[in-house]
Amino acid sequence: MRWTGLVENETLKILRRKRFRVVLLVLGILLAVVVFGQARQRRNAERDNPSGNWRARVESRIARMDRDLGRRNVPTNWARWMRFESGRLRYHLEKNINPEALTAPVFCRTFAGVGSFLLIPLLVAVVGADLVSSEFAEGTVTLLLTRPVARWKILLAKVLTLVLFTSLTLLLAAVLSWAIAGIAFGWSGWGAPMVTGFRLGDAGFDVSGVRVLPLWQDALAAWGLAWYSALAVGAVTLLLSVVFRSTAAAMGTMMATLIGGTILSRVASDWEGAKWFFVSCLPLPEFYTGVPTPYPGMSLGFCASVLAGWAVAAVGVAFFLFVRRDVTS
Amino acid sequence: MVLSAEGLAKRYGEREVVSDATFALHRGEVFGFLGPNGAGKTTTIRMLVGLVRPTRGRIVIDGHDLHRDFEAAMRRVGCIVETPDLYRFLTGRENLEHFARMLGDGAAARIAPLADLVRMTGRLDDPVRTYSLGMRQRIGIAQALLGDPAVLILDEPTNGLDPAGIREMRELIRHLADDRGLAVFVSSHILSEMEKLVDRIAIVHRGRTLAAGTLAELAGNGGRSLEELFLEKTEGETV
Repeated sequence: MRWTGLVENETLKILRRKRFRVVLLVLGILLAVVVFGQARQRRNAERDNPSGNWRARVESRIARMDRDLGRRNVPTNWARWMRFESGRLRYHLEKNINPEALTAPVFCRTFAGVGSFLLIPLLVAVVGADLVSSEFAEGTVTLLLTRPVARWKILLAKVLTLVLFTSLTLLLAAVLSWAIAGIAFGWSGWGAPMVTGFRLGDAGFDVSGVRVLPLWQDALAAWGLAWYSALAVGAVTLLLSVVFRSTAAAMGTMMATLIGGTILSRVASDWEGAKWFFVSCLPLPEFYTGVPTPYPGMSLGFCASVLAGWAVAAVGVAFFLFVRRDVTS
Repeated sequence: MVLSAEGLAKRYGEREVVSDATFALHRGEVFGFLGPNGAGKTTTIRMLVGLVRPTRGRIVIDGHDLHRDFEAAMRRVGCIVETPDLYRFLTGRENLEHFARMLGDGAAARIAPLADLVRMTGRLDDPVRTYSLGMRQRIGIAQALLGDPAVLILDEPTNGLDPAGIREMRELIRHLADDRGLAVFVSSHILSEMEKLVDRIAIVHRGRTLAAGTLAELAGNGGRSLEELFLEKTEGETV
């Protein structure tokens, strides 16, 4: 009964601070803008190619990429991505599955991947950054920590609440992306075949691990992985929230880390050590599809372990600091 | 004896902010903790309520060692440390409910009578950000009493209040000690305040307890006023 009371307190504080609603609003607006852009793009494509033959369109895309790959001075990462993408498209042609079919379920599945390395982590950081820092900033920590509840219990209640709200954010992101995309592309299509599990190895494009799943299964896996990444982000955010007494400092540091890490994985692909950085491992749903990883040797298992390591360490240090720290002002 | 502090000390790096604070509180008394600003009053209070870990010394509250058995000890304590910082975006009632949930067993049922006691019933459903300092102070007292404590620890409870508010706060504190048998620990740097309010007093300066006793005992030899004693003990350094 006490535990539910503690979690209820933290939930009340998050909801009444209105920050969570802002996060949802931002998410909704962003999705609407992206859906609008995609719908326009599709309309233009249909205008240019009224026959609607997707095979012809895909073949011309492959040809374009092969031409680009033949050029000199193509950045390594970009070349890797194009080799992957042309292999993926070829496989779709071979199996006669339209890779361009855009329905709300496809949009939702794609959003899990695209959102997993920056947008969703940013939203989680916004929700989690003030979890502890605000109690210090607003002075309420003196009341909170002088009640007959051990400090580790208070922090654990906050951690549970963050897990709850991270999960809720992901759930709503999935549902919203599907619901908003449905307005433009139609809501059905969860049973469509989804090809996943490509690998771009040293020996070339590898289709031995490819699976064709109904879209709903693939989307569930992708969102599950995005959720796992988001929890790791939540853990690191919690640590920053404990370390900093100002919410702005905690949130700013987390955002700089996320954006910096994403940039790093784009520009410093020959520094292999960066694969141990948690931000490099965040796009789990992308890696699951088979999108080339920024550094070699980043299997799903490796990335999941790196994220788990960071999360456990961050939560451990957060608890140590929170329980031991003198509250002086 | 409901609260005892023995040889409390706190050192930050080279600087010893509190050295050897020793005192005890009994049921039904108001205990004054008097000293100029920077005398280590706030650090001592923060040690009493578990916010700051003492470098040395021991705190026992109603038979429970504060550091070995934090929850049992704090169950007997209500406190306001410095300003009563409540959640400004919640109402007074929501704040009280928040802290009642941390206490469990029947604390929620005390919200209504305590709101009555501190005369905040009419404003209980307004957001705390609309409250005056005096109102926040009163909700703070209600919050401190939610757990039906044996000890009430108040840090400068009249700070920032207007004369009517000061008088009201004094009457409330006396009522809690005289009629409800609470031991009330009050810190202040204002002498006149203390003379009207407390039964016993400790004078602290530079982290040391210089004198302790009833007002009569301290003033006793030579019929000095508390003010004279205070000035003598603190070598004239006041605020």
